Amino acid sequence: MSESDGLSMEKSGFESTREFFDMWLKVYNATTGRLVEMPAIGPAREKSEKMMKGFSTFVNLYAAGMDSSSNFQSVFMDAMHKVQEKTATDMEGEISPEKYKDFYNIWMETYSETFKEFLKTGHFASDMGKLNSHLMDFQKYNREMLEENYLKPMNLPTKTEIDEINKELYILKKTVKELSRQIKELKENK
Amino acid sequence: MNGLNLLDDQKKFRLGMEIFLNPPEFSVGTTPSEVIFGEDKMKLIHYIPIVEKPHPIPILIVYALVNRYYILDLQPDKSVIKKLLEEGFDVYVIDWGYPSGADRYLTLDDYVNGYLNNSVDKIMELSGVENITLLGVCQGGTFSVMYAALHPEKVKNLVTLVAPVDFDTDKGILNIWAKTLDVDKIVDYYGIVPGDFLNSAFLLLDPFRLMIDKYVGMFDRIEYNPDDTTCQLRNEDYIKNFLRMEKWIFDSPDQAGETFRQFMKDCYQNNLLIKNEMKLNGKKINLKNITMPLLNVMAEFDHLVPTDTSKSLNEAVSSSDKETLVFPTGHIGIFVGSKSQKEVCPKISLWLKPRSLLNGKTEEKTVQAYVELPEPAEEKTKEQRKNNRRSKVNKK
Repeated sequence: MSESDGLSMEKSGFESTREFFDMWLKVYNATTGRLVEMPAIGPAREKSEKMMKGFSTFVNLYAAGMDSSSNFQSVFMDAMHKVQEKTATDMEGEISPEKYKDFYNIWMETYSETFKEFLKTGHFASDMGKLNSHLMDFQKYNREMLEENYLKPMNLPTKTEIDEINKELYILKKTVKELSRQIKELKENK
Repeated sequence: MNGLNLLDDQKKFRLGMEIFLNPPEFSVGTTPSEVIFGEDKMKLIHYIPIVEKPHPIPILIVYALVNRYYILDLQPDKSVIKKLLEEGFDVYVIDWGYPSGADRYLTLDDYVNGYLNNSVDKIMELSGVENITLLGVCQGGTFSVMYAALHPEKVKNLVTLVAPVDFDTDKGILNIWAKTLDVDKIVDYYGIVPGDFLNSAFLLLDPFRLMIDKYVGMFDRIEYNPDDTTCQLRNEDYIKNFLRMEKWIFDSPDQAGETFRQFMKDCYQNNLLIKNEMKLNGKKINLKNITMPLLNVMAEFDHLVPTDTSKSLNEAVSSSDKETLVFPTGHIGIFVGSKSQKEVCPKISLWLKPRSLLNGKTEEKTVQAYVELPEPAEEKTKEQRKNNRRSKVNKK
């Protein structure tokens, strides 16, 4: 692909992948993305509409994952360059076990500090928040589909139903505790 | 010479692997105790006093929901609890247990005004006192602050140990991350928030050191000295200590969803507690209601609860008798580091002793049952262990 297409092969492999993905995402949003968001019609409209929404949920997760991977990749590269700079002269000549240990210590110190710097940025926090949010959407969607398309037709209990029971149980226990407390108080006041 | 060093490293690694292949038995939480009260999955543990006349006001230790309370009694020579017993205190601790799906709707109010309050009532009933000392640790310290503000009449002294109360800081990575989390989505999906989910966040704080260097360092610290007969014992002790800590770090209970939701949103995201705007079951928590003596203990190099998140407490309360202690250690080091036994526990004890007397009285209460703590059980010999190759963990 040429420069005129907006992609530069001079850059690292990951940056090109990222650019390619961004382009793909734009095309997806303008084409297939619109198709899957289209209102469904017909007797199976409810189910098919829910199923089609899964595409967007997955694409959102994938895009957030790409953002995170890309950022991590940049930090890895940065840390690697720093290690190279620090060890360029030290690693010349005969390689001894001490030098291996020194290299390990420099590598550990540099990677640890570089990543810690990155991890405490608002940028990383924001990316992680988005990734987590899309992951939860995706997991929730998968569970809904599992319940809708497998568990319910097979007449098996679903997580949603178990949660309803758990909630009833929680309220019941709380009521019993409160009533027990009141009875105890009444007995003590007699 | 260099070749010999490399050979030594290989020998150390081999020796470490040999110890792992014949794993030493290790235990945690060995200080003698009994469960005196339970409610749902919560247990109230009483440590058997080791002096005939403990100080009259008992101490209730409130630990966090994240990880387990036994970090305070990890091993006999690294036990905050044992040290407090030796200093003559009557010590209780709350074991929150391991929440399951049925606990997803438990709220912060259930923990603070339910389990914690009922435990305090039970201790007051058994000890015949009108109030007790609360020693809150980490998130348990935050709970203790909430409790002391809501039930000041039941708290004689409040000790907070690396407890966050002012969450609006960018000095802690967790504080930065928490602001961008969509807590509702996490709780709505999981219900019970997995301990592993939180653990992965803790590991991400310093991934290279926590996931690589820690284990490399473990093998590096193995001593290889065939002429030294005590060397093997030192190695095994070191591995046992390592395994105890490793067990504690990854023994992470899941979190009751609704509690997690309110704690994250009200504390980490909106910082309501320090502003006196947080509510439990509709009742506002006013930190100005805290009038009892306060000891606020912090760790200078705490990466999880930076001192900035704890020190505001002293300004927020009405107590006239209040003190701050900062130790040059970390969040975990304050419980198990070298300074814990030598400095942290003695200073807490020193502060607490004159404040642990019954109002207007100086007599100490006599307890019917007390024990003399046994010396740490003699470790099994290598031969005995070889006959029992499976690692056995005695967990309370």
